Amino acid sequence: MTLSVKEKAEYLGAFRWIEVFLMETLAGWVPTTPEMEVKVLFGRHVWELAQNADGLGKRTVELRAPLHYTLKPLDRMVAFLEEVSKLEQTGERIDAFYDVVAPAMMQRYRSYLEDTDALLDEPSVRVIERILSGYERMLSERKEYCSELDAPPKHDERIGERWAQYLGDADFVPHGPEGTLARA
Amino acid sequence: MKTTDKRKTVCGVTLCADPMREDCFTVAQRDVEMDERPDAAMSEISRREKLHRHMNNETGAMEIAAQMLVDFPETPWELKMELARQTADESRHVMSLYRRLKQLGGYKGEFPIGNFEWCVTNLCDSIEARLAIQNRTFEAGQMDLLGTLRNVWRAVNDERTAQVLEHILADEINHVRFANRWIKLLAQKNPRVLMKVAVAMRMFSEVNAALAVREGEINAVGSDLSYKAHTQIAINVEDRRQADFSDDEIDEILRQSGMSSLTSARRSA
Repeated sequence: MTLSVKEKAEYLGAFRWIEVFLMETLAGWVPTTPEMEVKVLFGRHVWELAQNADGLGKRTVELRAPLHYTLKPLDRMVAFLEEVSKLEQTGERIDAFYDVVAPAMMQRYRSYLEDTDALLDEPSVRVIERILSGYERMLSERKEYCSELDAPPKHDERIGERWAQYLGDADFVPHGPEGTLARA
Repeated sequence: MKTTDKRKTVCGVTLCADPMREDCFTVAQRDVEMDERPDAAMSEISRREKLHRHMNNETGAMEIAAQMLVDFPETPWELKMELARQTADESRHVMSLYRRLKQLGGYKGEFPIGNFEWCVTNLCDSIEARLAIQNRTFEAGQMDLLGTLRNVWRAVNDERTAQVLEHILADEINHVRFANRWIKLLAQKNPRVLMKVAVAMRMFSEVNAALAVREGEINAVGSDLSYKAHTQIAINVEDRRQADFSDDEIDEILRQSGMSSLTSARRSA
């Protein structure tokens, strides 16, 4: 069974909360990251994430929710994102965002596309397809800009694995135990 | 502690502490510590120094726009979108200048850099004040400068750099325009906004005066910087108008820069 209109709005609202959080996280990293190429990378992607949030927010009003409806995700997802936002080392920031958060978001957007009705919910599908293409571009630019660094930041694959385990396959929309949507 | 809560003192003036920079950079605290060369001939080293200085200024503009998104989460979404876009625009400027610098044989850290714009703008605790200082003052001033500079590069047959500056100028007009529009809009909703802006501009003038180059001061490469006090940058009237400065505001800027004769000429044109 496909998602209801209300559930779709809930999903998109939760996606939007995460995109705004990530936009603010990367914005905070711009002045606090020493490497110029990485500052530039984060600066570029602040705009990508803002556009993601904007597209989602403009779609929610078409799903009988308010314009730019934003729903706080489940606590586990929030805790994970807050931990990521506190990272201070450049290498850890890059690993966490591009190796863990971005693929996790892409996976969840793709799950949404699998669960929704591509015809009835076509406007959401279009928004999410644009977002997925933006994430692909971000991952590709990460390689391009980091390749210009004089010395690559310290990279520890175990850190990426730790973050991936922390997030796991956690859902993020606050569904209740019986499938009833519980608003945050 | 927030990034913008950290402080430093320069010549007895309290400023926001510098943003992070790589170890290869030497961070100057005043203009006299910079390697600026006033040579009209545009020697090779002077060209690289200009690009290097501009690259760091664009880095600062990117950081200031990004930091506004962090420090003012209650800002209307449409203004956040403008700031996010500005952050990305400035990041393109940094990379364009850096790539051009490398083409001319330069490298990161070749010259000292200064973060004055970041250090003074982030003293303000309202978004309207930061927009007034960074976008309406520094970026508008850069519009004036770029209006002239692109021709300086063309005059030495460096069309590539002139093109880079021309594209940067086009973007800066948008950044100044949205700041002008939002300050007006926010002031209509809350007249106290104008007071915040006025207080911020007075603070800016005082800091500027305290750190200004003094008569006879010589910089790190032996250039006498007192010429700056007597040099007027041509006001870029056309682009200021595109950036939503009113005619009265442009006249006032022309008067302050000692070009009042142009105000009447402009009106009669």
